[in-house]
Amino acid sequence: MTTRHQISVTVNGVNYQREVDARLTLADFVRHDLSLGGTHVGCEHGVCGACTILVNGASMRSCLMLAVQADGAELTTVEGLSRNGELHPVQQAFIDRHGLQCGFCTPGFLISTAELLQGNPNPSDDEIADALGGHLCRCTGYQSILESVQLAAQMMREGTIVDAASPAEA
Amino acid sequence: MTTDMNNSLYELPTESPRFVGQQVRRIEDPALVSGSVEFIDNVTLPGMLHAAILRCPHPHARIVSIDTTAARQLPGVVAVLTGEDVKRWCNPVVTAPEGWGAYCLAVDKARFVGEPVMAIAATDRYIAEDACELVEVEYEVLPAVPDAPAAIAADSPLLFENQNSNVMLQRVYDWGEVEPLFERADHIVRETFRWNRVGANPMETFGCISQWNLADNSLTCRGSYQTPSFMVLGRSASLNLPSNKVRIIAHPHGGSFGGKGGPRGTDISALLSRKAGGRPVKYIEDRAEYLLAGGGQSWDRYYEAALAVMADGTVTGLKVKLLDDQGAGAEGYGTISVAKPLAAFTGPYRIQAAQYDLTVVATNRAPTFAYRGYGPPPHNLVLETLMDSAARELGIDSAEIRRRNYIQPEQFPYTIPSGNEYDSGNYPEVLARALQMADYEALRAQQQTARDEGRYLGIGVVSTVEPGVFDWNAYRTAGVQGVGVPEGARVNFDMLGQVTVTVGFALEGQGQYTVAAQVVADYFGLEMDAVRVVCASSDAAPPHFGPGGSRVGVALTGAVLGACHKIAEKFRRVGAVLLQCEPDDLELAGGAVRMRERPEAQLGLADLAGTMLARSDLLPPDMDPHPGATHVWTPPGRTEPDEQGRCKSYLTAANATHVVLVEVDPDTGVTEILKYVIVDDCGTRLNPANVEGQVQGGVAQGVGAALLEQYVYTEDGQPLVSTFADYLMPTLHEVPITQKGAVVTPSPFTPLGAKGCGEGSIHITPAAVICAINDALQPLGVKVRETPASPSRIWNLIREAGT
Ligand code: FES
Ligand code: FES
Repeated sequence: MTTRHQISVTVNGVNYQREVDARLTLADFVRHDLSLGGTHVGCEHGVCGACTILVNGASMRSCLMLAVQADGAELTTVEGLSRNGELHPVQQAFIDRHGLQCGFCTPGFLISTAELLQGNPNPSDDEIADALGGHLCRCTGYQSILESVQLAAQMMREGTIVDAASPAEA
Repeated sequence: MTTDMNNSLYELPTESPRFVGQQVRRIEDPALVSGSVEFIDNVTLPGMLHAAILRCPHPHARIVSIDTTAARQLPGVVAVLTGEDVKRWCNPVVTAPEGWGAYCLAVDKARFVGEPVMAIAATDRYIAEDACELVEVEYEVLPAVPDAPAAIAADSPLLFENQNSNVMLQRVYDWGEVEPLFERADHIVRETFRWNRVGANPMETFGCISQWNLADNSLTCRGSYQTPSFMVLGRSASLNLPSNKVRIIAHPHGGSFGGKGGPRGTDISALLSRKAGGRPVKYIEDRAEYLLAGGGQSWDRYYEAALAVMADGTVTGLKVKLLDDQGAGAEGYGTISVAKPLAAFTGPYRIQAAQYDLTVVATNRAPTFAYRGYGPPPHNLVLETLMDSAARELGIDSAEIRRRNYIQPEQFPYTIPSGNEYDSGNYPEVLARALQMADYEALRAQQQTARDEGRYLGIGVVSTVEPGVFDWNAYRTAGVQGVGVPEGARVNFDMLGQVTVTVGFALEGQGQYTVAAQVVADYFGLEMDAVRVVCASSDAAPPHFGPGGSRVGVALTGAVLGACHKIAEKFRRVGAVLLQCEPDDLELAGGAVRMRERPEAQLGLADLAGTMLARSDLLPPDMDPHPGATHVWTPPGRTEPDEQGRCKSYLTAANATHVVLVEVDPDTGVTEILKYVIVDDCGTRLNPANVEGQVQGGVAQGVGAALLEQYVYTEDGQPLVSTFADYLMPTLHEVPITQKGAVVTPSPFTPLGAKGCGEGSIHITPAAVICAINDALQPLGVKVRETPASPSRIWNLIREAGT
């Protein structure tokens, strides 16, 4: 009922060769075929943004793409943000500013924030809202997310990670 | 801190806690930002199958036949479940009030669009869904009951044939002498309201993996469960299993807000597993299923209400008449949401008497469920709009009329007409702070200037009491029995002095594990990251309920403190042996047990725990050698409801005032929130960042309910909402960045003085926004009386008024 295709994708620097159904979504492929469960699925119709990943450096909703469309692409998922066991500044900033509650929407926000700050190290509040206004979060009310993005931008500009060990000043 | 529980059991053995009360980072977060948390859909079990559910497309229909022949032949299909199986094996779900529950799959007839009709387990979800498309169901469409007014019409079709009408509940509560107060009133203000359905919509829908063990006829369900112990009881009843043969393993989940759903999906996947020879069956609800028929619809209400007011602005009486649409039965415990307002019926005001005239009906809409706030948000919209109407009629400022009617700080504990007792508060101070932060007078001036320019600015000033730490007794109206809600925690030291706290509920976002770690770390002088907090399965956890009704911060603190206290007693006994003194000579301080008189004589906690587990020869002969303890906390002083539903129910009463400035564009009907100020008082703030997160998250949901969200149904009962393009969730563009302030009046009744704080914002944000809109629209002579105040609704009101 559906044709199968051989694809090759690089995810977080690792190459995978798989045979997949034509109809398999990229989200399901990453989550279930590759067991990278950090990419979450909140709506499967392109509205919530939880499934956002980077495809060749640009953010995409992986629920709206088919795995076969990613053949030959380089993908980055939330699992690929940290380097050598160190959290990415965006991840650290979300912890420091309480930018998450349940954390289900968070991987999508982290990916879009990383993309935003890559191109714009000092975004205004409006630019942040433009970049993240298409992501839904039902828990936080967004204020702490906005503050997290501002902090992440500052950390990345200054090349510092604010001391993660002192809880009292989070 | 005074406490009527009056013992050191609920205090920290330190004057200067390092973590409690501080804005600490959450221990939950590193895993969450790394994408390594085991949400249920990340879990795969050996041999696991995947379920898909076929759902009814009609609001009300008899099932004539189901032909599954073609579906069964599809390669990959392993099990098929229909109403016939369910009728043989199951019971309808238990409801409150009794007798309004359905089976997990429609048996004989379906009562709402999206009701499960049959289900299939297959080797993957894609195949399971393909198979559902091959099933042929013949329906005989029945006349539908599309809404609450239709449900009480004389010739209304019956939803439940075991009942003789569609009315689940009807009664009038009279608290005090209401009628004489209305007769004596100088003014009577009346309003009608329509609150349309909204709901929880956590970003993760419900999911589970059920496995029926055919050898011993027991069931294990892993899933995104908010209340595992409740799930056990429900499954036991619906699946005819002894309760000790149902085991729930709760996974961290992506939000819940009361509206996660789950009973039907669990029962269906459990029965599919039974039919598939015991293979595990995963069911992940998709968003369309959630929106149509999941646990995400709440509060579908028609109100008529009146306020008795004296010439000086004193409000003396409140009457509320509610017609509430529960949808197709009471399976989601949405009925409780008509009962909860009793816990704060008259809000923060000294209203002497009140009347609640209640009619709760079944219709062919989806069954309603709990949603954060659980009923008060619409009730508070009614009360606060009436307060504004009274102010307008008397020519009193809207902040001033509230100030004149507040319960005063010295009146606590204060019993309200509907019976609950408020623990403490300082409402005038909260209002004063909010007005000051908002620069209220400047806002009024700005409004006047704008009016002169032909722009429509409005200000809402509203106050609320948030009942916190729920108790079952609050819900007697809906037929719920019981007093007290136990919450347990087990705190264990291992042989090396490392600490693990075991609770019975999974993470869902409020940061409760962090609170447990804060308390334990401060109690024993440890670092927070030395404390591990884990969730045990339902059969291994201490008695628990988990999050709900703004309780778990307070309840968990009580449970953890109680357990720590028991351990400290044991450590003192062991220390007394080793230091050759009496236990009373010893105290716990700075991570050690030491002699009060000679602090340098001390023993580390690891030494004490190690001695207990590895040197029994040194212990007193009757000593329990376990360096750990379990404590189960339940709210103190709760009472049995009287015949009018009056009792001490919710333990705490947090308070907040919101001040909001909006601008309404009369040409488009669009509302823009220009300023939003919140001052709240939830007693001791255990982790201020958590509190702010709860406050802001509630604002977002409240703004959604006020301006955007609605489950739309057609006149024949067809739902029009099945995607997030139809159900509009607020984004970063719509939710205001708020200015927040705090007043701290500790609760005299709770551990450490904290009050429940998870729901206060959603309780009052809809009222704040709608009151502000109505203030803006006043010059146009129109008033919003239906939620959400969408652009089209406002635009139509203005057009109809011809201004
Ligand atoms: S899951 Fe892809 S946008 Fe919601
Ligand atoms: S943190 Fe829960 S949805 Fe965003």
